[in-house]
Amino acid sequence: MIDKLLGAYFLEKGKLSPEQIKQIEQVQAQVRVKLGLIAVSEKLMTNEQADEVNRLQSVMDKRFGDIAVEKGYLTEDQVSRLLGLQGNGYLSFVQTVIDNGMMALHEIEEGLIDYQKENGFTASDIDALKSDDPDRIVPLFLPQDIDKYQKEHILGAFRAVTRLICNGACVSKAYKAESMKTNAFASQGLDGEKKASLTFVGEGNNLNAIADKFAGETFEEVDLDSLDAVAEFINCINGMYATKVAPDLNVDMLPPAYKAEACELTGDMIVLPIYIGDKKVELVSTFGQIVNY
Amino acid sequence: MSKILIVDDSRTSRKILRTLLEEAGHEIVAEAENGQDGVEKYKEFKPEVTTLDITMPVMDGLEALKLIKEFDSSAKVIMVTAAGQQNKMVEAIKVGASEFVTKPFEKDNILKLIEKM
Repeated sequence: MIDKLLGAYFLEKGKLSPEQIKQIEQVQAQVRVKLGLIAVSEKLMTNEQADEVNRLQSVMDKRFGDIAVEKGYLTEDQVSRLLGLQGNGYLSFVQTVIDNGMMALHEIEEGLIDYQKENGFTASDIDALKSDDPDRIVPLFLPQDIDKYQKEHILGAFRAVTRLICNGACVSKAYKAESMKTNAFASQGLDGEKKASLTFVGEGNNLNAIADKFAGETFEEVDLDSLDAVAEFINCINGMYATKVAPDLNVDMLPPAYKAEACELTGDMIVLPIYIGDKKVELVSTFGQIVNY
Repeated sequence: MSKILIVDDSRTSRKILRTLLEEAGHEIVAEAENGQDGVEKYKEFKPEVTTLDITMPVMDGLEALKLIKEFDSSAKVIMVTAAGQQNKMVEAIKVGASEFVTKPFEKDNILKLIEKM
């Protein structure tokens, strides 16, 4: 994810042009080969086994490698080797930028230090950002005082986005809000001991970045059909969250809701911007209450 | 080949399920978008198998299941839900649900269940 963040930072500072960013993204997309594909091409798994693990990933909040090990298809050592082959986003970013003469290594390193200072990140935060691990990266962008269940809810949502929608998805700093105007949203509330809700909002057709991928079709505009697909995606996220917190919390899922008209969301909300390709959507989380609309 | 009724408030889920089942040669006799509509469609079409979502507005899947079983104790009903609703699944089995599946749908799993009915 640091590749996307640094790319945006260097674009803002005028060190890279939009065309260069596009070129880097194309190279990065080729680098980001899914672990299952690598495992099959290395003849460590069959296509059927990789498909099965991919299917299980849609209902289990676990990484490909973890499920493959549980099923006995791969060993821990093989997963480590495959992750090595998959490559690291930061290193491939640096390599692409240098190989194409866009910036020198010392310029990238100096830029990284400036980025770290401007965002108040520590050295270990930067290590986390370079790791490609959502569980280490996303908390850096969330408020420090966030409840542990709300943090898990948001993390689970982002993991689902990377697994089911776009594995190169990226986030920026979350913010708190008490009201938010939008022209379209999809949402689901959770009842029980600790009420909560998850909502996706997006400008223009941006929510279709989720709907298209999840429903497996191309929606022309954000309408009730495409929002229904986003709501079903949220339903799956909430199902995995309910399973995860089940030993501690009794969670009851309410029917999803969505609107394709001007409306205002209110509540004690944490809003996490998520970038799916060049589309920005916002994940709105409430905890202890269900968002009002 | 079975005659199937799909009851789900999500048009996305209904569409995915319809495509998947029709491709496997099954006939979808009707669709309903809430439990109340589902019970009425059951009485009207008398399907061989019903897929019934649990979380729905107006009337949820558990309530609809009770009414369908009151009307026809031999009704074959597959409950459909996202993960994390174990309590409701247990309750549904007690009321008489034949099977349950988890969203998002796993094609092979659903087709095997339908064949089993």
